[in-house]
Amino acid sequence: MKGIVKRGLGLAMVGCLAASMLSGCGKTPEPEKLVSSEKQENTGKDEKQKAKADTSKKVDLVFYLMGDAPNDMQAVQDKINERLLEEINATVTFNFTTWTDWQTKYNMILSSGEPCDLIYTANWIDYAKLCKNDAFTPLDELLPEYAPELWETISKDLWAQMKVDGKVYSVPSSKAEYTNVGVKYREDLRKKYSLPVPDSLANIEAYLGGVKEKEPTQGILLPVVNTSAFDYSLSSTMVLQAKYGWVNQAAMYGLAADYNNPSKLFNYWASDAFREDMKMMKRWADKGFWSKSVLSNSNIADAFENGQNVMVIDGENPAKYTGNLPRVEKDHPDWEVGYIPYAEMTGVAFANHATGNGTAIPSSSKNPERAAMALELLYTDQELNRLIQYGIEGSHYTIDENGLYVEGEKYDDYRNEGANTWNLRNPKISLLHRNDVKLNEIFDRLHTIAQKTKYPDANIIAGFIEVPDSYAAERAALSTVMVQYLAPIEAGLVPDVDAAIDTFLQKAEQAGLSKIQKEYTAQWEAYCNEYGYN
Amino acid sequence: MKIRKTKYTGAVNLAAYIILSIFSVMCVLPFVVIVSGSLTDNAIIVSEGYSLLPKGFTLEAYQTIFKTPKDILKAYGVTMFCTAIGTGIGLVMTTLTGYVLSRKEFKYRNTISFLIYFTTIFGGGLVPWYFMISGVLKLKGTLMAIWMPGLTTAFFIILMRTFIVASVPDELTEAAKIDGAGHGTIFTRVVTPILKPGLATVGLFLALGYWNDWFRSSLFSTSQSTWTLQYYLYNLVNRAEALRSMANQSRITIDNLPTEAVKLAMAVVATGPILLLYPFVQKYFVSGITVGAVKG
Amino acid sequence: MKIVKETMVKRKRTRNEFFYDLKKNYILWCMLIPTFLFFLVNNYLPMVGIYFAFIKFNFKGGLFGSPFVGLSNFAFLWKSNILFDLTVNTILYNLGFIILGNVLQVFTAILVSQVTSKFFKKFSQTLMFMPYFVSYVILTVLVYNVFNYEYGLVNNLLSKWGMAPVNFYGEPKYWPFLITFFYIWKNLGYGMVVYLATILGISKEYYEAAEVDGANTLQQIRYITLPQIKPTFIILLLFSLGSIMKGQFELFYQMVGNNGLLFSATDIIDTYVYRATVTNFDFGMGTAAGLYQSLFGFVLIVAINFWIKKKNPEYALF
Repeated sequence: MKGIVKRGLGLAMVGCLAASMLSGCGKTPEPEKLVSSEKQENTGKDEKQKAKADTSKKVDLVFYLMGDAPNDMQAVQDKINERLLEEINATVTFNFTTWTDWQTKYNMILSSGEPCDLIYTANWIDYAKLCKNDAFTPLDELLPEYAPELWETISKDLWAQMKVDGKVYSVPSSKAEYTNVGVKYREDLRKKYSLPVPDSLANIEAYLGGVKEKEPTQGILLPVVNTSAFDYSLSSTMVLQAKYGWVNQAAMYGLAADYNNPSKLFNYWASDAFREDMKMMKRWADKGFWSKSVLSNSNIADAFENGQNVMVIDGENPAKYTGNLPRVEKDHPDWEVGYIPYAEMTGVAFANHATGNGTAIPSSSKNPERAAMALELLYTDQELNRLIQYGIEGSHYTIDENGLYVEGEKYDDYRNEGANTWNLRNPKISLLHRNDVKLNEIFDRLHTIAQKTKYPDANIIAGFIEVPDSYAAERAALSTVMVQYLAPIEAGLVPDVDAAIDTFLQKAEQAGLSKIQKEYTAQWEAYCNEYGYN
Repeated sequence: MKIRKTKYTGAVNLAAYIILSIFSVMCVLPFVVIVSGSLTDNAIIVSEGYSLLPKGFTLEAYQTIFKTPKDILKAYGVTMFCTAIGTGIGLVMTTLTGYVLSRKEFKYRNTISFLIYFTTIFGGGLVPWYFMISGVLKLKGTLMAIWMPGLTTAFFIILMRTFIVASVPDELTEAAKIDGAGHGTIFTRVVTPILKPGLATVGLFLALGYWNDWFRSSLFSTSQSTWTLQYYLYNLVNRAEALRSMANQSRITIDNLPTEAVKLAMAVVATGPILLLYPFVQKYFVSGITVGAVKG
Repeated sequence: MKIVKETMVKRKRTRNEFFYDLKKNYILWCMLIPTFLFFLVNNYLPMVGIYFAFIKFNFKGGLFGSPFVGLSNFAFLWKSNILFDLTVNTILYNLGFIILGNVLQVFTAILVSQVTSKFFKKFSQTLMFMPYFVSYVILTVLVYNVFNYEYGLVNNLLSKWGMAPVNFYGEPKYWPFLITFFYIWKNLGYGMVVYLATILGISKEYYEAAEVDGANTLQQIRYITLPQIKPTFIILLLFSLGSIMKGQFELFYQMVGNNGLLFSATDIIDTYVYRATVTNFDFGMGTAAGLYQSLFGFVLIVAINFWIKKKNPEYALF
């Protein structure tokens, strides 16, 4: 009896599922085929006609962006759609992942085959891995055909950076930026207690020690555990960027290479330098630069602005620094904030990689051509681009006599880049903000430094596409070993640093560290070879 | 019926008062801290931590939350709607199933119980379920996607079955059957009235589940119009969390990060109304129902 | 041939029986329809997703078009030789939660039912329900403020009394107690309601008869209340056992965070899997770990249920 019920149910299940799964995931059209057949039909007509030729049927596109929607998204969307309907007989609905479980949702949107025609991409959301797993439509043929202006406006060099296995899958933001990080600190305290300028590792320690001595109850640093990195586990060690000019912020799987000699990886975790550095971390912890409970700290994001620490040593890139300045000026008029890029200590700077912000057409899109057209308009058309970037002129923002962006009356309902469209930054038509003056000044400084390096402005590490398939299990195991054993060392909370490092290395070895290092090195060397970094 | 006071009754009673008082205080203290924190100036929380009484009393956090009352009221509306409709339908569904599974004459009751219990052990994970709701049933962006998947759980069904077995004596249903009552009549006239504490329990659990749900709202909303209250608040807190996890990413700025005080005020705002609901349901837990009354 | 024929006949007979029952009890079957649809849509159809554990997902291919990779998605579980420790941790914590939790819930439910003042009855119940509403995000902050080394509440008190501060976040030994405490604290009111409802469902006649026989309160509890809630107790216990390998991820993650110093005492399968897959978003590995947990729980629960059914079918779960 039981058997029958189960069997019957089983059959029903299989039937339903076959139908549903097939219709969902399997039905995705082959965009390349579509493109090629239409190409033949269209040969000989000029581009405008081509675009118009296949827009007879109205389509509704879905554009997924990161984070939360601004309050006035609907109004802006309506304005955008007025134009889009006219131009390409399409409308765009902007959907947002929100910041809750954004990573899960992002992957689910792509894998469940739900309607999605355009989506934000970035190297920090596994751009390369997703490309390799066919999540996006290749654009090399689609764009010249349906979005020629977009294809032209972005430089060959940027397109080259977007390539994964020889194909372009995403349209990058074309704004050149530096995201090299630096040290942000309380300059007013430095002056008050006449401490040294924290422009080297020794001076940083002297500065922090000085503040701690004069103001014992003041929080000094607020490092956080990072579970999703393979180069470090606690952000306290990010300060070592003041000492080393490596290709990466830290040693990936313990492997590091000097920026000026990128192809030669060396095993930092096995070196004496690593032990020395970790002993320094212990010294810092013993001096009370951070709490003994730091590993469980649920750090609040704007601790520096709240006066909980006096220095930020990780993740403070020029844009973040200048972006937060107005708030400090408003909340703490008596403060002075200093900023020194690590690049000025080590002489290594490089521009942001193009994969940092981009827009792709998921392979589940049923209208890749129209999506390309819509993207072209949103990216290159001044009116549309400004609508999505800044909202409605006169209400969300205004332009002053110098052509600078000024916050409008309803700024809070649609801020500057309020829809998180970092991927649609087009410097040819974008507006400058008065804060950008300061930002550009730092960019200039970094640019000067970058020009002096052996590979000017090449973001070597970001151009490298690691394929961890052959060591995925080892990698997963290592990530947990790092959080368990490396993070306490980096927090200086172990009684005996040498013994703790020995344990860490032994556990890492068990997880398969040497296999990872071997395969990673092979891939890295092949990459350096291909691009001529040696 | 008057309860005779014996020596033991008094002692047990006293012990009960004392122990329950201790438990209650332990349970309510953190809540006091939360409420007091929500009324404290954020700068003080940051520098001195929490306390039982607000230092530097301010309503600022609540003002921040209710600055755009439209959004939060809308979220309240969504939560209340889903709670009402979901609890209503879910309770009927759960009780019916519990009733069927408690019938001895129903041969397949063990098979069905097993099939229901099985779902708590094995699951296909998030993706296929998400695909089912959004891809096959096309419910993404609707309120139904939020209340439908919460209608019942294996736990509630088994709980209901247990309540029915425990509180509805077989003689009672047998007697009704002899009087010519069908399952429909037995269910509505005989079982349901005796089952009030059980119904109140499962109903309360269902309502709590809906009230606390943010996950379905997070997954299946395409705009803020289907955000539940909890999700509205949770998402705000998550902005700070997301920013932390992306600490080293390029040019990401997240606006409107909540202050500590705002987070606590959120917790108060989200919890208040359901706490008021509880005493209302409670009357079913305070005085039981005598079987005799039903028989009569 | 003969065997085939026999099974055919048997199958036919069972099928007939099934249809016979369907006809006889059609009202009961109709009552099940909504529930049947519910579990079909929300649980049974999505179960195909278990196949994720055996493939390397490709977006174009979808679930069935992706390459089959055998057991390699499971490999990360035993790569660092800690699967055994994790399993033991998970089971011990859950046993603690289930047993201690249920016992305390029964205890409190009896106390509440004994209290005579209606006001106090309502009031204490409401207060005990409150922790259920404290979300884990808030709990994190509260716990950190209480146990922080430098300015935590506990260490403040200790230093006031002239005692040495305790480094809670550096010593694993305190955490099994703390985690269990907060779990029970959070769920006390919720679980209690179930038992309270059961106690209220007990016919008053029993107590009246006991009174007549001169039984005191303790004796009434011992001989009437406890035996009456025993079935509920056992069924709830059994119910939880199936999920004994599934940890309370939120509780552990929010209380301990990513503090490696405490992992030896606080790491459970769910937190380990979270850390292992958060870097490399992977449906395959997550599903694989879930499957391991499910299989374990399934074998356990089927065995126990079988045993209980033999001893006392009334208490069996299915």
